[in-house]
Amino acid sequence: MSVNSMPAVLIVDDEEMVVTSIRAFLKLETDFAVHGFTDPEQAAKFIESNQVDVAVADYIMPKMNGIQFLGRAKQVQPEATRVLLTGYADKQSAIQAINELALFQYLEKPWDNAALLLVIQNGIERAQLIRTLRDKISELDLAHSNLKDVQSRLLRAFM
Amino acid sequence: MAEDAGLACRVDDGERLRAQLEAANRRLAEAYSLASLGRLVTGIVHEMNTPLASILSNNAVMQHGLETLRKLLAEPGEGERARALEILEQLRSLAAVDKTACERISALIPGLKAFARVEEAAVQKADLNAILKSTLALVRCECRARVSFELDLAELPEVECYPQSLYQVFLNLLVNAEQAIEGQGAVKVSTRLEGDRVRASVADTGRGIRPEDRANIFRPGFTTKPVGVGSGLGLSICRQIVVDRHGGRIDFESEPGLGTTFHVWLPLRQANPDGSAARSNSQES
Repeated sequence: MSVNSMPAVLIVDDEEMVVTSIRAFLKLETDFAVHGFTDPEQAAKFIESNQVDVAVADYIMPKMNGIQFLGRAKQVQPEATRVLLTGYADKQSAIQAINELALFQYLEKPWDNAALLLVIQNGIERAQLIRTLRDKISELDLAHSNLKDVQSRLLRAFM
Repeated sequence: MAEDAGLACRVDDGERLRAQLEAANRRLAEAYSLASLGRLVTGIVHEMNTPLASILSNNAVMQHGLETLRKLLAEPGEGERARALEILEQLRSLAAVDKTACERISALIPGLKAFARVEEAAVQKADLNAILKSTLALVRCECRARVSFELDLAELPEVECYPQSLYQVFLNLLVNAEQAIEGQGAVKVSTRLEGDRVRASVADTGRGIRPEDRANIFRPGFTTKPVGVGSGLGLSICRQIVVDRHGGRIDFESEPGLGTTFHVWLPLRQANPDGSAARSNSQES
């Protein structure tokens, strides 16, 4: 999986205008690598081989809705932060998304740029913390198995 | 003499009752028109909300971007120039998005205006293709993720008609087409000039009409849709508007499992603009 040196944000919305607006906003205000898609299937392919910190998805899209897309993202990159951006103030879809996807945030259109940026920044921090934690746990697992190895060798030496 | 007076009285009564019935039918069609628009409101609000969200976001970004540009221009180094050009490109892309967004909102206005207008009394010359496009703009809001729409519109002369009532006809046919499709599907709208009349057709890839239902579909109150979805009035109102009001014809072809096509034929000219000729035409059809 290719890893960016700068935080990576993925946006998928079947409306080109939404992708362009958010991409332009993030490009002007941040140093994030921004990957925009209007086709959720292409976006799903992209996350299979590219690490992202935050995935922002529209809800109603042809072929695959936002909940289905974020479900795929969760399978491939569980540590990436998932955000649903929707024009429908539909409480049912929000509850479903939060329960099924461990959704980080549910935003409504029209979005506020400052609020969106804050959600994305917090999401990046969360994803990076989870990755650091995962790395530390595997280091700890390695150290633990080394220690067990030494212990069993010591035991063999003394017995 | 007394017999003649009695006959005249009965004829008057008949005329009066027919006028009352027509007025009641018209009020019913108007109420139905508002109700059908009401059902589309969620989709229309969403359709306006998305471009509006982009415009609002872009406006804030543009203001900030312009401010950054001003600062960069005050320090004319190579790095500043490159950054300024980059910002200019982004601002240009936002201006293009705003134009598209405004066009998307504008496309909804003619249809909304037509449904909000009080029923017109006089025949007007209207562009049938424009009526179809405006109605389609409203209907696709609800189902754009599920249904693809194709337009195949021939060049047509203006048609003498009651334009607002035709919006209702095509709204009913397009909503029916969209509702007949379970899951993904397509709707094709076409128009043709056929001698002294025009034909508009709405074809869907939906479930089709069962042979046993075909004789009843224009009957008021008949519906195969679930309670709360269909009132059974849509097609009967279409028939009333096309046949009784315009002296036209409405018909359909259907293949269960494959889809249905509704055809509406309208005369280019109304023989008698107050609609009475249209009524006599309809008796022949």
